[in-house]
Amino acid sequence: MDSSSRFAIDFGTLGLDNNSEMSKPIFASLAVLALTVGAQTGSAQNKAGEDVPHPGTENFHAQCIGCHGIPGYKTAFPTVYHVPMIAGQQPGYIVSALKAYKSGDRSHPSMRGIAASLTEDQMQKLADYYGRPAK
Amino acid sequence: MNRVLFIVVGLALAANVQAGGNADKGKQKAAQVCVACHGADGNKPSAPDQPVLAGQYYDYLVNALTDYKNGRRTNPIMKGFAAQLSKQDIQDVAAWFSSQTTSPLHNQR
Repeated sequence: MDSSSRFAIDFGTLGLDNNSEMSKPIFASLAVLALTVGAQTGSAQNKAGEDVPHPGTENFHAQCIGCHGIPGYKTAFPTVYHVPMIAGQQPGYIVSALKAYKSGDRSHPSMRGIAASLTEDQMQKLADYYGRPAK
Repeated sequence: MNRVLFIVVGLALAANVQAGGNADKGKQKAAQVCVACHGADGNKPSAPDQPVLAGQYYDYLVNALTDYKNGRRTNPIMKGFAAQLSKQDIQDVAAWFSSQTTSPLHNQR
């Protein structure tokens, strides 16, 4: 499944997609596709045998979007630079970065706070969602 | 007319500022220092926990390398490589990697 369409889908389900050019029929079919294929942050099967996301993990990645999902967005403190792009990054690196924030090896205040709240399993799920294996 | 000229000049200046380093010099430096783990264009990490650099923001890369160099970010491998880079080298390799367009990195929309 194409990773970029996955992002578009989940942004749609979050109601954050403000792409006015996208027509509603396409939007609806993408949403159906999202339900059919299932979020990669974890899925189970319902009674009909369809894959559905685990309750509570559907929009788990939403916590990252406020900073990493805005093109050109910059940090404010302690130094100012662009918030790095994480979509398409290697999952293994995303996990190692989150672990380093949690352990204190990396020091950005916002990321330390967020990483501290994540279990290793949650880190892996976020990494699988945003990243993709190297080719 | 003046307003259009102002905008055009402004954009040109902004583009220069973002470039910061010299990508051609950065390419040469990267071929000596970064290539083994990140690939010549920063697009071929040699291990799963090494990041894709190609297409990443210039100022983020400068910040990361500077943090490795001054010890604010602790990674035994990167510490050794960043130590070999001058401030100018850091800007040059960041300009090189950030200007690569075949990257899987992308902004979400």
